[in-house]
Amino acid sequence: MSLIIDHVSKSFPNQNKTLPVLRDIHLEIQGGEFFCIAGPSGCGKTTLLNIIAGLEPADSGTTTWNGKRIDHIGPERLMIFQELGLFPWLTVLQNVEFGLKMKGISAKERRKTALVHLEMVHLAKFKDAYIHELSGGMKQRVALARALAMDPQVLLMDEPFTALDAQTRDMLHDELQRLWTTTKKTIIFVTHNIREAVCLGDRVAVLSARPGILKNIVSVSLPRPRRIEDHGLMEIVRVILEELKGEIEKTVRDEFHEDTVR
Amino acid sequence: MKTRFVRQILFYGILLAIWEGLALAQVWPGYIFPSPLDVLRSLAEGFRDSTFWVAIGISLRRIAVGYGISVILGGLLGLLISRFSVVKDTVGNLSLGLQTLPSICWLPLALLWFGINERAIYFVVIMGSMFSITMATHAGVRNVQPIFIKAGRNLGARRITLFREVIIPAAMPSILAGLKQGWSFSWRSLMAGELLFVNLGLGHLLMMGRELNDMSRVIAVMIVIAAISILTDKFIFGTAESHLQRKWGLETKT
Ligand SMILES: Nc1ncnc2c1ncn2[C@@H]1O[C@H](COP(=O)(O)OP(=O)(O)OP(=O)(O)O)[C@@H](O)[C@H]1O
Ligand SMILES: [Mg+2]
Repeated sequence: MSLIIDHVSKSFPNQNKTLPVLRDIHLEIQGGEFFCIAGPSGCGKTTLLNIIAGLEPADSGTTTWNGKRIDHIGPERLMIFQELGLFPWLTVLQNVEFGLKMKGISAKERRKTALVHLEMVHLAKFKDAYIHELSGGMKQRVALARALAMDPQVLLMDEPFTALDAQTRDMLHDELQRLWTTTKKTIIFVTHNIREAVCLGDRVAVLSARPGILKNIVSVSLPRPRRIEDHGLMEIVRVILEELKGEIEKTVRDEFHEDTVR
Repeated sequence: MKTRFVRQILFYGILLAIWEGLALAQVWPGYIFPSPLDVLRSLAEGFRDSTFWVAIGISLRRIAVGYGISVILGGLLGLLISRFSVVKDTVGNLSLGLQTLPSICWLPLALLWFGINERAIYFVVIMGSMFSITMATHAGVRNVQPIFIKAGRNLGARRITLFREVIIPAAMPSILAGLKQGWSFSWRSLMAGELLFVNLGLGHLLMMGRELNDMSRVIAVMIVIAAISILTDKFIFGTAESHLQRKWGLETKT
């Protein structure tokens, strides 16, 4: 099993010009791998995930999963969006059941599966709550349960823990590593936090500022479970940050420039 | 909560006292300005000899049919407008224009087409409320946050299921507001129509009171009409609204 992103480029129309977002990205991700993608804000990380999910087409290049070309949404690749997109009109349990219902699974069967996954993220007690009654970390876990209940082969996660406080985030890092070890999913995890990427990933791909070009891929062979404050991480993080510093400055400069020109 | 209740009791008490005082003082003759007791008597009598019950029954049946059709047609039209840009540019544009027309303006046309009968009153009621439901449905569907649609598609919802399971529930707060507005429009249209031309119903009862110079009867019927408005507002729409609020949380209510 492998996901191959074969020289993918993508640009968006932007005020009667085109804005190049991803340029010639080439990645090969192994089945079962925990793969992190890091890069400064606006470099095209979400766009890349959208392409892998089949929500958006690439301008050029191809994406394949197990040799099959990705050109539409498929149940084997599931995205957890940056904004989550939990449904406020459904209870926690109904949210987790949603995808199973779309698959045509019987009410009894899907309830059972949903409960198993809610237990997995320790939220069984909140099954009848509505989304607005949950904390940010709990919402993340519902989104995770909703995706896992679909039993996808690839889980695409878009900066899931950015908006959380440090303690909640650490807890969810532990939980995610545990779930990954037990379920053996392929996880593609996007973040702009290098330390988080190094903490979670088997490998970390670093993108440059827009247009996103693959700058480097770093392998992390530290033992698991890892904690974000582990000493071994810091060395790797420092090397990547050094490389990225120029990129972040470039982004800020570009955006500042765009603003002053307008 | 408690102060509000006390204030209201006091306010209505004083209002009634002034009314009774004016009536007692016979500033105006009794047939023009009845006392609260006269009105109460008319109210009791109207219910006892069952004229009020019959009128309520007839008006409620008319509103049920008229508003019911309005909801189905208006909602359907709203969905079609959101789904097909051709419909939006044509029928949607027309609906927007027709929505601005006060419903009673349809009356002459209804009388010429249908004559003085039930179909004319249904027509006025439907025309008076349908387009506001259409516009609210369309606005609700159009304003559904794209993330809900993306998440729904990602989880396997397609076309019809996406519409039924994601778009319509997501648009529900706006649709409900439209239903409520449509209800109040259709209720007003019905009363206007009954007042002006058709037999039976509460509006007609109001007109009969005038013809008989029975002021206390007129006020009694007005109270019945207001009570029905308040009860539906509070119990039907109020319940639905608080149900939605409980699910969505207070702040996301649109
Ligand atoms: N649908 C779109 N239409 C036009 N431009 C878009 C669209 N989607 C993204 N962009 C642009 O593409 C660039 C990359 O966007 P993307 O969301 O992929 O960035 P990102 O790396 O996920 O950023 P962040 O870390 O802030 O989430 C941005 O400059 C954005 O303005
Ligand atoms: Mg993003």
